Amino acid sequence: MSPVAHLYLHLPFCSSRCGYCAFVVNVGALGRRDEYLDALLAELEGERAAGRIGELQTVYLGGGTPTLMRPRRLAALMERIRPHLAPGAEVSMEANPESVDGPALAALRRAGVNRLSLGVQSFQPHLLSALDRAATPAQARQLIACARAAGFEDLSIDLIFGIPGQTADDLERDLAEVLTAGPDHVSWYELELKPGTALARAGTPAFDEDEGADAYRRIVGGLEDAGYGWYETANFARPGHECRHSLAYWSAADYLGLGVGAVSTVGGERWRNAAALDGYLAALAAGEAPPRSREPLDADDVRRERWMLGLRLERGLPLAWAGPPDRPDALARLSAAGLLHHDAGAVSLTREGRFVQNAILHELMDYA
Amino acid sequence: MDQGHIRNFCIIAHIDHGKSTLADRILQLTGAVSERDMRSQVLDSMDLERERGITIKAQAVRVHYTASDGETYQLNLIDTPGHVDFSYEVSRSLAACEGALLVVDASQGIEAQTLANTYLAIEGDLEVIPVLNKIDLPAADPELHGRAVADLIGDDPENVLRISAKTGEGIEAVLEAVVERVPPPSGDLTAPARALIFDSVYDQYRGVVAFVRVMDGVFQKGDKLRCMQTGLVVESEEIGVMAPVMTPTGKLAAGETGYLVTGLKNLGDLRVGDTITRVAEPAAEALPGYREVKPMVFCGLFPVDADDYPDLRDALEKLSLNDASLRWEPESSQALGFGFRCGFLGLLHMDIVRERLEREYDLELLATTPNVEYKVTTTMGEILPVRSPTELPPPTNIAMIEEPFVRCTILVPSDGVGAVMKLCQDRRGVFVTMEPIENRQQIVYDMPLAEIVLDFYDQLKSRTRGYASLDYEIVGYRESHLVKLDVLLAGDTVDALSMIVHRDEAYTRGKLLVERLFRTIPRQLFDVPIQAAIGGKILARETVKARRKDVLAKCYGGDISRKRKLLERQKEGKKRMKQVGSVEVPQEAFLSVLKIGDDGNGK
Repeated sequence: MSPVAHLYLHLPFCSSRCGYCAFVVNVGALGRRDEYLDALLAELEGERAAGRIGELQTVYLGGGTPTLMRPRRLAALMERIRPHLAPGAEVSMEANPESVDGPALAALRRAGVNRLSLGVQSFQPHLLSALDRAATPAQARQLIACARAAGFEDLSIDLIFGIPGQTADDLERDLAEVLTAGPDHVSWYELELKPGTALARAGTPAFDEDEGADAYRRIVGGLEDAGYGWYETANFARPGHECRHSLAYWSAADYLGLGVGAVSTVGGERWRNAAALDGYLAALAAGEAPPRSREPLDADDVRRERWMLGLRLERGLPLAWAGPPDRPDALARLSAAGLLHHDAGAVSLTREGRFVQNAILHELMDYA
Repeated sequence: MDQGHIRNFCIIAHIDHGKSTLADRILQLTGAVSERDMRSQVLDSMDLERERGITIKAQAVRVHYTASDGETYQLNLIDTPGHVDFSYEVSRSLAACEGALLVVDASQGIEAQTLANTYLAIEGDLEVIPVLNKIDLPAADPELHGRAVADLIGDDPENVLRISAKTGEGIEAVLEAVVERVPPPSGDLTAPARALIFDSVYDQYRGVVAFVRVMDGVFQKGDKLRCMQTGLVVESEEIGVMAPVMTPTGKLAAGETGYLVTGLKNLGDLRVGDTITRVAEPAAEALPGYREVKPMVFCGLFPVDADDYPDLRDALEKLSLNDASLRWEPESSQALGFGFRCGFLGLLHMDIVRERLEREYDLELLATTPNVEYKVTTTMGEILPVRSPTELPPPTNIAMIEEPFVRCTILVPSDGVGAVMKLCQDRRGVFVTMEPIENRQQIVYDMPLAEIVLDFYDQLKSRTRGYASLDYEIVGYRESHLVKLDVLLAGDTVDALSMIVHRDEAYTRGKLLVERLFRTIPRQLFDVPIQAAIGGKILARETVKARRKDVLAKCYGGDISRKRKLLERQKEGKKRMKQVGSVEVPQEAFLSVLKIGDDGNGK
């Protein structure tokens, strides 16, 4: 099995669960965070011994709230990763405004983290409270300033639209705040009401398609006007600041994910670590691999995933790499309708097509 | 047994007035079914019948009863269906009997259907024994309803039996009345044998089984038999009675009812209403038969998944084995592909067949709007039967269109008269008469059958809080100003959505149709104009706007599989849509057109 160039580390601890969150997180288990890092290092060591860790181009520390880990322990984790890093490797970490301060950010920067992704979600107090977010807009603004002061030259902020109660004016204010803050990268998602989340349970109505479409189009237009490229469905970057780790996912590259609930895809096989903290800690304490479920990917799965992922990107996908669509005749039809470019062995969506990417995918492919 | 000790009788009752419970009690009391084996409502054997609490197939059950005179009698109970769609089966049952129990709910009183069947029984010279059931109910009013029932049949109110089939009270008295009041059969045992076929079923192992009432002579096992109308010759492979399961007896004599195993493989070969006689010693004259059952309502049935077409054909073949009134022939639609145009006795029959196809044969079906059979006279003077809107010739070739009319008899409490008359007028009804019957009004209208088949019965029930009851009979064809209303999706006519409507209703119907489709067709990659039109003239239009946003928000390493599976689930959802030209139409869109009348405005 060939070694991978992309590593994800899941740090699942949170002080509370947000209303829209469906990730693998652990609330109220902070007492076990050191034990968890030991286990994570043990899993890393196992993968290293198995020869699966190559020269790492990107590392991503996601959560949860990674900044809830003790800075010294995080630095120790980075110490163990450093020997595997390629020159100029991207090392990203997620941070929440309420859980980190200037000195902590400076320590992270010294430990080798060179890209920061801040979970802001909105700058409007009533929308933050609708999402159960703990941070205030002031904290968010301050953190952005601190991150710059700490020397982060690759700064991303995460935002959400389609929040219950969000008006067009709210969106304009968020957009203006983002442009004032001037991050290098923006991820701006529509709120998904995933089953099991507090918002879904509360019966929150989904955004009307037209409202959502207006907001989405306004965001794309506003960011593009300010010099951000719309390089992926929900991601925008100043030239040269695209997230290389995420691009690896969207290019269907192999990656290794460590920690509870983390997923790996290596050499046509995908596995997912079990989500339960106890089982994970117990297995690694006993010197075993964590409990995992495996999913083999056949040639059709791979081809359909490449189409699914590749069409998210502004640059599209090379046909020779992705393989043919299930319904090749749809290419000409969609092209004639102005939704898709199809030339010289590559397919990409037009601006209009990118807004209805999912529907186009169903025209081209049979997901069965 | 000599004919003096035989009684053949049936039960006339409205749905839910307790016919099946009474039949069960009779079987129990006479020991035909033990307490332990007692499955509630033995006579209603089909699951659907049990679920809907209605009886579809007539059957005959023999029991023995020792009366208070010390004599043992053979009682043949012939079951009758209770719904308007199956009224023809009632006349069959009546022809095989000398008496009828008229069972009326003591809290509800007589319903239109019961009234019609009672008249049939009286016309057929049957002894009618009035029975008030459910006297245990707090709402029972035996005085009032007893008087009304007595009036109806010209009997003394004191002769109206009061029972509760549920508690068992009064059942014995019912049996005594059957023995005392129903005349014994008076067939000629020595005459050439004749029997009336009053029902038939297909048995998987025995083939076609005929239920017969022997009028004269004796039939034996092994006899060569001739059907006098069709000329068909069969052999009686087995002969017996239902007691209540098939019990061979080797012979059936004048006055008795029972069954004959014919060895036929096709139910359609045996005509119910035909007279059977022996080849060796044939009867000179056939018994009076009854009118042939003709389908009244037609619709196209199409599999949602085109691959299911052969399965649908198999399923229809199997259903036809036991339902000679179900007609079907292949039909193809540009929009829906290959399917079948089916003929039914009525809407309930249609619903039942559809439900059985979906439930018992696991098929997903699309049904087109039901319609009646029209008679079209062309400008060349030709007369064409039209059972599907697509069969309608171009308007320029049509000289006249006629449609079947029915005479509707509606019984309703006085405070519902206004609502009923409004509904009938709205549905192109022509007033005939109105007169009081007990504490209610009997309203008679002549109406186009097409208006009835749509949703008239549901509307009638909902506008009278369930108190109105309906009976109808065909009175013939009348000329109407009818037009073909087409629906266009993205510019193309969808043949499966076309319907024949009255010219005055075309605009409202078209507008409603377009609105319904607009609400049920989801937004797609392109604009979908929906239009209703007569010929080239557009009556109504809406446009389902193209999607403006359809993306999967986040997609990272952890959820690539989940996103792929989400796409698979979305695809699965699309499979339940029908691709009509370039438009994906959900099944609900077709259904919403069917239910065109359920939003309260009556159209």
